[in-house]
Amino acid sequence: MVAVPTDATVSGWVARIRQRAFRIAPADRDPVVLRHSRIYILPTRPGWAMIATVATMLVASLNYALSLGVGVAFLLSGLLAASLLHTFRNLAGIEVTPLSAGEAFAGGHMAFTLSLHGGALARSAVTLAASGANAYGEVPAGAALTVTLDVPAPARGRKSLGRVTLSSDYPMGLWRGWAYVHFPLAGIVYPEVEIGAPPLPQGAMGADALSTGRSDDADLAGLREFQRGDSPQRVAWKAVARGAGWYTKEFDGVGGGGPVALAWAALPAALDREARLSRLTAWVLAAERAARPFGLAIPGTSLPGGQGRPHRRNALAALAEFPRATEV
Amino acid sequence: MSIAQALGLRPRARPAEEPRRALLDSHQIGWLGALLLAAQLPQAPHLPIWIAAMGILLVVVRLVVLRQDRQRPHAPPPRIPSWTLVLFAVAAAFAVRASYGYLSGRDPSVAFLYILVAIKFLETRTRRDGTFLVCLSCFLLITPFFYGQSPLAALAALPAVALVGATLDALTRNPGAGASTGRGPALRRSIVMIMQGIPVAILLFVLFPRLAGPLWGLPSDHSAQTGLSETMEPGQISELSLSDAVAFRVDFDGPVPAPRERYWRGPVLSRFDGRTWTAGSPQFGRVPVSEGGSVVTYTVNLEPSNRMWLFALDLPSSLPRAESEGNATPSTSTSTLAFISRDQQLLARSPVTQSIRYVQQSVLRSSFPGNPQFETSANLYLPANNPRTRAFARELRESHPDDRALIAAVLQWFNQEDFVYTMSPPALNEDTADEFLFDTRRGFCEHYASAFVVLLRAAGIPARVVTGYQGGAMNPRGNYMIVRQSDAHAWAEALIDGRWQRFDPTAAVSPSRIEIGLGGALPVSESVPFLARLDTSWLKTVQLTWDAINHDWRRNIVGYNYARQRSLWREWRLDGLLPWEVVALGAAALFAWAGLLAAWLLFRRRRQERALVLWDDLCRRLARAGLPRQSHEGPMAFAQRAALRWPQFAIAFAAIGQSFATLRYGETATSRQRDALVATLQRAIEVLPAPAALRQSS
Repeated sequence: MVAVPTDATVSGWVARIRQRAFRIAPADRDPVVLRHSRIYILPTRPGWAMIATVATMLVASLNYALSLGVGVAFLLSGLLAASLLHTFRNLAGIEVTPLSAGEAFAGGHMAFTLSLHGGALARSAVTLAASGANAYGEVPAGAALTVTLDVPAPARGRKSLGRVTLSSDYPMGLWRGWAYVHFPLAGIVYPEVEIGAPPLPQGAMGADALSTGRSDDADLAGLREFQRGDSPQRVAWKAVARGAGWYTKEFDGVGGGGPVALAWAALPAALDREARLSRLTAWVLAAERAARPFGLAIPGTSLPGGQGRPHRRNALAALAEFPRATEV
Repeated sequence: MSIAQALGLRPRARPAEEPRRALLDSHQIGWLGALLLAAQLPQAPHLPIWIAAMGILLVVVRLVVLRQDRQRPHAPPPRIPSWTLVLFAVAAAFAVRASYGYLSGRDPSVAFLYILVAIKFLETRTRRDGTFLVCLSCFLLITPFFYGQSPLAALAALPAVALVGATLDALTRNPGAGASTGRGPALRRSIVMIMQGIPVAILLFVLFPRLAGPLWGLPSDHSAQTGLSETMEPGQISELSLSDAVAFRVDFDGPVPAPRERYWRGPVLSRFDGRTWTAGSPQFGRVPVSEGGSVVTYTVNLEPSNRMWLFALDLPSSLPRAESEGNATPSTSTSTLAFISRDQQLLARSPVTQSIRYVQQSVLRSSFPGNPQFETSANLYLPANNPRTRAFARELRESHPDDRALIAAVLQWFNQEDFVYTMSPPALNEDTADEFLFDTRRGFCEHYASAFVVLLRAAGIPARVVTGYQGGAMNPRGNYMIVRQSDAHAWAEALIDGRWQRFDPTAAVSPSRIEIGLGGALPVSESVPFLARLDTSWLKTVQLTWDAINHDWRRNIVGYNYARQRSLWREWRLDGLLPWEVVALGAAALFAWAGLLAAWLLFRRRRQERALVLWDDLCRRLARAGLPRQSHEGPMAFAQRAALRWPQFAIAFAAIGQSFATLRYGETATSRQRDALVATLQRAIEVLPAPAALRQSS
């Protein structure tokens, strides 16, 4: 995972410097505290404009022997220098901790959450950017700020957050300070859900006649704490409304329709690889929604019939990581 | 900030939601308007009234008439068609041209910039426009210094400097970003940062190399200054004497000469057309070989006069030189500011358009060797008028064959006849000397000097008029001498036995003018300028104190030029350093400043966050005792966990959790309640033993 060679060759040395300067590989261990070695500062466009203005004022004042003009130009230079340090101070010492990667289906967005902690100092106007996502926040003094980056997830498979750029032009917009952090934070993007997928195959796993007559709802087995990515249908909204906190309903038993077998081979031959995966994904979700146990059989992976959150995740992950056409 | 690494990098483009074309909200427009007004006001008094009023009016129009909807502060600013603004700018250029008569000089350029900034403000809509406007107004900050660099001018620039920072601060705020955009914080932040930058400003001001001369041509100044002129006619000097304006200030090395020896030699006038005295064309001369006499060394701080001449005590024994040249032999120095003419007059190389300082030496003598071969005939010439004076001169010549005796007789005659020294003499017509000597007999120094020289020339003695200043008062607040325009004076020189000898006919009429000054020589009824009067009122004291501040200001701030910088470096023993060593020294000082300021910014503990400091401290201590706080744990939960670990301190932990949670997240009405809670927190924390002891006791 860490692409930093440890041998003492010249290329290894160059790679280490490149890693240190640009944080190309996801080699950061959490939490990362931004120190001076990570923070870069260069003038922004307005900053360059002010520098040019002050330089012009200085040359004109020197030429016309306007001591006070020289004084004003240097006063503004002092302001420029002080604002550089304030920009540095706004970033230095921020503690960045990767929290989690959310759940996403291809074509959607994957939410990566990070936590910023500024210590005893408030940090203003901090922008985070990674893999095409932006977030903006103010970190209050002595408290953590949780920032969510909604990274576009166009294709199924592993999606890593990539290098995160924290930047700020606080306080005057004259300097932009930035720092790179690169955590090995990744989530799995499940295949795209087929819209208008056919209903679940009936009783393929040998449904017994008795179970067909039962209601679609399974027995409520209990509540567990809500986790990001849980289906809204499963949230115990009554508890939320009472202010008792966020919980997700867990179901037990066999839903209406009985267990269902989701098999690659059983799909119409006209469907291509990605279409099959999309349909299977839609069926996994449908089975989950209907609280029916399901088994999954795709080339290379076979999951026995089961139910519940880990089972669902395993099934979706298996679909997500199914080799692409080019990889076979 | 590893700059070496950073050099190869470019900051990435700003995120898409912060375009430079973002529209400004009414708040940001308000900041820009305030900055423009603050930058315009110090410049306005130096402009024609209509330009000054129009610039301010345009800004007010934008702020008031084109105001954005207050109910919708984030609504886009109103748009003004840009062609109207171009038209407006062209019209302004023509108007400025019409007002000044030319467009390429300094003054019209300043006026045009002044108007242009206001016009640009009319169409300012985006953040980029805003930044551009801030830069333009920075230029407007320095233009008032063309017209004066007094302490007041410096003070007047400060509000605008503070607003530059505050406006930049306001411009970076995203309208929807939720940052605090109150007026107070932005301005306070800007002032704090300017003050933090002052060490850098001082360092640069002292160390940044000054130019020995201008890079490009200085603008010619069209304004006239009060002061002596190349010509003298009756009434001219008495008019000048009404002015309290300062001609120059003098710092003496050593004792100050007595009042009657304070003859500041200026233009020497030897051509006479019957009414007006003018200077002859200057001939190069040499400083006379010293013939003994006490040498006085002093530094003159000359106000701009737009004239060529410099002033020195009669008689200059050196060429003026810039202060920095230490003890180099003055006459051999190559960088003299001026040369000396044959009639011992100091002439600068170019008109004095800014105040200059020069070191000068003089020997207090009233005569110096002349050159009778070349100077006699020119200084005997008289036009064919003033018949009565000529007749009187012939009479005197018959009774006094000796030149000195004749002159003594004339001075005695002035003294004994009913001559009156007055600032408001009657007007003279054709034969000025005749009318003055025999009819009116009321005159100011130029009348006496003129008539005296005419009389001497008619008697066959080569003579000429010398103008300059006589006197000068020490400022008790600063121990330096102020010579004002009211000290302007004219006296005479006669060539006797090959030497030019100074005679002052005014002294014969009114000895107190020479001994005490104008205020002592004239009756109270005359309109003597306020500061030339003898009485000391508190107002005069205030004025003198202010003048002393000004003098220091001029000497040390405004006058801090190439020469002063060199002499300061010599004083600090820096002159032996190589340029790169000076740069290294400056860079080291800059890094020291940056390190100190960064450390202070990062590690100072804020008073208002005392509770937080205590809490962080506690968390660190408990972590060392083996119980680190989990990041998801709030104060109450953590305190409970700690109480379970160390039950003997359960009460203290409960108090800590409760008081800190209330301080952080609760609503406390008064600062007294907060103080009480902080005190509780602190006492509870003090109950706990050191981390090592805690670790043992668990």
